[in-house]
Amino acid sequence: MNPTPSVVVSHVSKIFKRAKDLAPVEALRDVSLELPANTFVTLLGPSGCGKTTLLRMINGLIQPDSGEVHVFGKPPKPGPRIGFVFQSFRLIPWLNVRNNVGFGLSLQGVGEAERKERVDHYLKLVGLSRFADVYPHELSGGMKQRAALARALVTEPEILLMDEPFASLDAQVRELMQMEMMRLWSERRGIVLFVTHSVDEAIIMADKIALMGPRPGRIVETLDVPLPRPRWDDSIKMQRDYIELRRYLWDRIREMVTQDPSSDFYAGEPDKS
Amino acid sequence: MITVYRLLAFGLFLLIWWTVSLIVGPNLIPTPLNTVFAARDLLRDGKILEPLLSSLAVYSTGYALAVLVGIPIGMLMGGIRDLGRTLDIYVNALMATPRVAFIPLIILFLGLGAEAKIAVVFLGAVIPILIGTYSGILNSDAELIEMARSLGASRSQIYWRIMLPGALAFVVIGLRIGATIGLINTVVAELYTAASGLGGLLALYGNTFQMARYFVVILALSLIGGLVSQGLRALEAWSSRWRVTAGN
Ligand SMILES: Nc1ncnc2c1ncn2[C@@H]1O[C@H](COP(=O)(O)OP(=O)(O)OP(=O)(O)O)[C@@H](O)[C@H]1O
Ligand SMILES: [Mg+2]
Repeated sequence: MNPTPSVVVSHVSKIFKRAKDLAPVEALRDVSLELPANTFVTLLGPSGCGKTTLLRMINGLIQPDSGEVHVFGKPPKPGPRIGFVFQSFRLIPWLNVRNNVGFGLSLQGVGEAERKERVDHYLKLVGLSRFADVYPHELSGGMKQRAALARALVTEPEILLMDEPFASLDAQVRELMQMEMMRLWSERRGIVLFVTHSVDEAIIMADKIALMGPRPGRIVETLDVPLPRPRWDDSIKMQRDYIELRRYLWDRIREMVTQDPSSDFYAGEPDKS
Repeated sequence: MITVYRLLAFGLFLLIWWTVSLIVGPNLIPTPLNTVFAARDLLRDGKILEPLLSSLAVYSTGYALAVLVGIPIGMLMGGIRDLGRTLDIYVNALMATPRVAFIPLIILFLGLGAEAKIAVVFLGAVIPILIGTYSGILNSDAELIEMARSLGASRSQIYWRIMLPGALAFVVIGLRIGATIGLINTVVAELYTAASGLGGLLALYGNTFQMARYFVVILALSLIGGLVSQGLRALEAWSSRWRVTAGN
């Protein structure tokens, strides 16, 4: 018998109203998803299919119109137990790296000494110890994202929500950050829900992939990733399972995008002959 | 380098002044040298010191009151959305009204003395300071606010730690505009109520064609304006010290 998963999203829908002359957007329709303990789940799907919306809902930043979200058996409330890493780094420009990373702790009223100790630990973990006293504008993109990651980790959340965290990084930095993230996760585990546009990233990182489709935003399919860990090694990309999964996902995405009338790649009505 | 350019610009300015004064005649526009002599005389017999101090007292009191009132009201309007929405059209209407239009009314209530002058300065400076503070808070970064919310920040934590510090640059802009309008209003008040201070001297020397002395007063006013705005620039630099420093 399985224990109840820590995060349960059941039949959730969300419609965003817009300015009077614009039609409302159905961001999510009847989405259900379960995140069992200690799993790394990637959320893969084309732009606009409601990935960010789903994350914000699991964090409790917005409420569903219908359906329910339960985190540890209760409707979620934003706070230190659920970490959120945003696509834009969202560092506070007038605080140095140390105070940015410690921001959540200081909101909780954690004392100076303990805060410093915990911040130092996570700065070291993401390799930013030497930059503790620097302001965000002096950091490179990769360093900013590592600072944002440390800020989310320092409150020791049981659930980590990551919204395309590496999307704005260049290819090399991105791969290094993926390795970094997998190393971190292998040490501390917990639940990670990781949004990405990249099929490769989705496969490499995940135990489980939830594939989403647009208009209305919905979960099309969930798949297990049968690849062994650790996956630091590039040879993983040569494995049969990897290649097949990759081809399958690409086909599904291509299909969705070419059949979506509002997509740039819309190929017209499929031939019914 | 900039210092050299500035000195060159100053030299050019003196040259133009000198030429113009020679063309129109030194009775209308005194030469720079005559102005320096006039300044020396005015300083020596103390005729400018007392008006200068009196102007500074009016200016600084009115401005200080404007800061003490403008910033808190702007903070309240920014913090309580409905209060801000209720009041902001009136504040903007007041901003658009030339506030010197209120001088007759102020004289009616406060007379012609220092209180009336301080009120004119206050009225000129308070509105831009208030609007700067208010719009700074309204312009706060929605992404940072959501980030803080995701970490469990309460509404008051978001206000004090994200919205208010983020508004600082706007507040300083308000302070600078307020300082400029405040100085203008100091002179206007001194001209339109009981003549006193530097404004009073302007009227006196202007009406009696003592143009060299008249120019000394004008230079004194520019000096005050320049010093105040330098001071506020230092404040601005301090308030945005975490930003990318230009030319770096
Ligand atoms: N606050 C909002 N108001 C109105 N519409 C919104 C809002 N947030 C999202 N939407 C709309 O809902 C849909 C889903 O948005 P969402 O940001 O969740 O997509 P996404 O999958 O994260 O896209 P991307 O991959 O481009 O980040 C989009 O069509 C978007 O325009
Ligand atoms: Mg998104």
